[in-house]
Amino acid sequence: MQKRNNYTEIEDLLADESFQLWILSKIDEQGWEEWTLENRQRAKLVEDARLLLLAMKVPDVNLSPGEIHSALESTWKKIEEKENFYNISKSKIVYLRKYWLSGAAAILIISLASVWTFKKHTITGNTVVTYNELIEENNEGLVEQTNNSDISQTITLSDGSSVLLQPKSKLSYPKIFTGNERKVYLSGEGFFEISKNPKKPFFVYANEIVTRVVGTSFRIKAYQDQQNVEVLVRTGKVRVKSNSLVSNATNHEVVLLPNQALRFVRKDLVFNKITNITKDEVLVKSVGNIEQLSFEFNDIPIAQIFETIEQAYLVDIDYPKDKLSDCHLTTSLSDQPLPEKLKIICKSIGNDTNFEMNGNQITITSKGCN
Amino acid sequence: MKSHITNNKLLDDNTLWSNLKVGDEKSFSLLFERYYKDLISYGNSLSPFEEKVQDCVQDVFADVWVYRNSLQENVVVKAYLLSSVRKRIARLFQRDHIFRKTTSTEAIEFLFDFSIENELVEDEVTAERVLYLNKLLNDLPPRQKEALYLRYHQGLAVEQIAELLDVNYQSANNLLYRGLLSLRKEWKGNLSFVLLLSSGVLQFS
Repeated sequence: MQKRNNYTEIEDLLADESFQLWILSKIDEQGWEEWTLENRQRAKLVEDARLLLLAMKVPDVNLSPGEIHSALESTWKKIEEKENFYNISKSKIVYLRKYWLSGAAAILIISLASVWTFKKHTITGNTVVTYNELIEENNEGLVEQTNNSDISQTITLSDGSSVLLQPKSKLSYPKIFTGNERKVYLSGEGFFEISKNPKKPFFVYANEIVTRVVGTSFRIKAYQDQQNVEVLVRTGKVRVKSNSLVSNATNHEVVLLPNQALRFVRKDLVFNKITNITKDEVLVKSVGNIEQLSFEFNDIPIAQIFETIEQAYLVDIDYPKDKLSDCHLTTSLSDQPLPEKLKIICKSIGNDTNFEMNGNQITITSKGCN
Repeated sequence: MKSHITNNKLLDDNTLWSNLKVGDEKSFSLLFERYYKDLISYGNSLSPFEEKVQDCVQDVFADVWVYRNSLQENVVVKAYLLSSVRKRIARLFQRDHIFRKTTSTEAIEFLFDFSIENELVEDEVTAERVLYLNKLLNDLPPRQKEALYLRYHQGLAVEQIAELLDVNYQSANNLLYRGLLSLRKEWKGNLSFVLLLSSGVLQFS
C-alpha cells in the first residue's frame, strides 16, 4: 500500500501518477500533503520533484469530447475503406461502390524477354540495381511473397489490384498502401492488373527501371540474370524511366502509348522503343495465358466465365453450381483486376451474391441470379 | 494532462484489447477515447503538421482494427499505440523521398519545448528556479527530452521506452539518466537535488 515510503528519488515521485495529480491538479486523494510533512528529508524531495514537474509542462491538447468522437467516426470510415480491400464481407459490400474506381485501364506488358544469360563482367557494380537493394530502400514494412511452386500464384494488394506472380519470382509490397503513391518491387515475372486511382500512381520497381501507371494491367519480367527489360502497352498511357539508384542514369522518361513497347538494355542503360510489336519475335512469344484469354462475355453461362477466370489467374472458384446453372452474363471484364472482376460478376448475378478470397481459393455465395 | 486517470478504468486496457481482437467494436471505441488525446499530444511533439498527425493517429487505430486478428495478445497497449504513431510519422517524413538513404526512425526529432506551469507557481523564488530548470530541460538533446516525456508524461516504463526508441534497455536508461544528470550538473544552486540525483544512478540500473 505505502510503496511511496520507499521512494528515495525524484524519479520515483515523478513517475507516480497520483503524485503528479496532486501537484498539477491539486487532487490529493492519497494524502500526499500529510505524507510530505512527516519528515524533513521527504519534504525536500517532494519540493524538488514539484519544481521539476512545474518546469516540464507539455502543451495541452485541446480536444473536446465532441472532437474525439468525430475523430473516432473518421477512423471508422478509414476502416471501412481498408476493409473493402481486404475482408470483403456481406455487411460491408455496400461501401464498395464508392471506392472502386472504374474506367478504362491500360494494358502494359513489361517483359524481360531476353534469354541470354547475364554477363556479369559487362555490367559494372553501380549500374545494376538488384531487388534486394530496392527492398532496402523501402522501410514501409513490406510483405514479400515468393512463388517457389511451378504454377502462377495470384496476390491481391490492399488497393484491390491483383498480381499473377510467375514461378521463381517474388514481389514485395506494403500490407496497406499509404500516402500518395503505391509502390511494389518485383524480381522475376508478374502480370499486374492495377485498380485505377489517378490520385495514387502505382510504381513498379524492377531492376533498373521504374514503371509508373495510374490504372492498368501489364506484365513485368525482370529476372536478375537476364539482360533486357521490356515494356508493352495495350491501352492507355504508361511512363517508364530508369531508377534513380542507377548512378549515371538519365532522367529520361519514355511515354508509351497503346501497342507500343520498349526494350531496356541493362548493360548500356538504353531504352529502345518498339513501335510495331507484332514484328518483334521475342515479344510475340512472351504473351501469357491471361493476355490470350478474352474477358469479353456475351450471354455466356456463369460456369464458363468462372472457368476462364480459373485459367487466367490459376485460382480455384467454389460456387453453388446448381443455383447458378441457368445464369448467363454479358459483360466486359478486360480492364479489371481480379477482385473487381469478381465484384462485377457478383453484382450482376444478384444482390445476395458475394465472394471471398483466401489465397488462391475463391468462394462465391449466392442464392441464384435475378 | 493525466486525464485518462479519471476515466472509467473498470475495464483495463488488456481486457479491452482482447475484446477488440475478437471483434468487439465497443472496446475499440473505448480504447480510442482513452488514448486519442495522448497520441495526438505525442504526434504533435514529432511533427508540426497537426492535420497529418491526426491522420496518422487515426490510421494507427484503423490498422489495429483491420489487423486485429494478427495483433499480439500481451502488449502494453499504450506503449504499442505510441510506438505505432511514432513509426507512422517517421514514415511520413520519408515518403516524399523515394530513395532517401536515411531509413531509421531516428531521423525524426522530438520538437516541442517543455513549458512552465505558471498558474501553479506561487512565489518569485519558485518562479526563478522553475524558469532555470525549464531552460536546462529544453537545452537537452531531443532524444533525452523525448525519453523524459515518455517516462513522466506518458507514464511508460523504461523497457517500453527502449522498445519504442529502438534502443536497448541500458541506452534508454542512459537517455533518462543523462537527461536528469545534465540538470544535476548545471543546477548547482540546489545541493539536495544534486545528491538525490546522484543516488538515482543506482536506482536506474
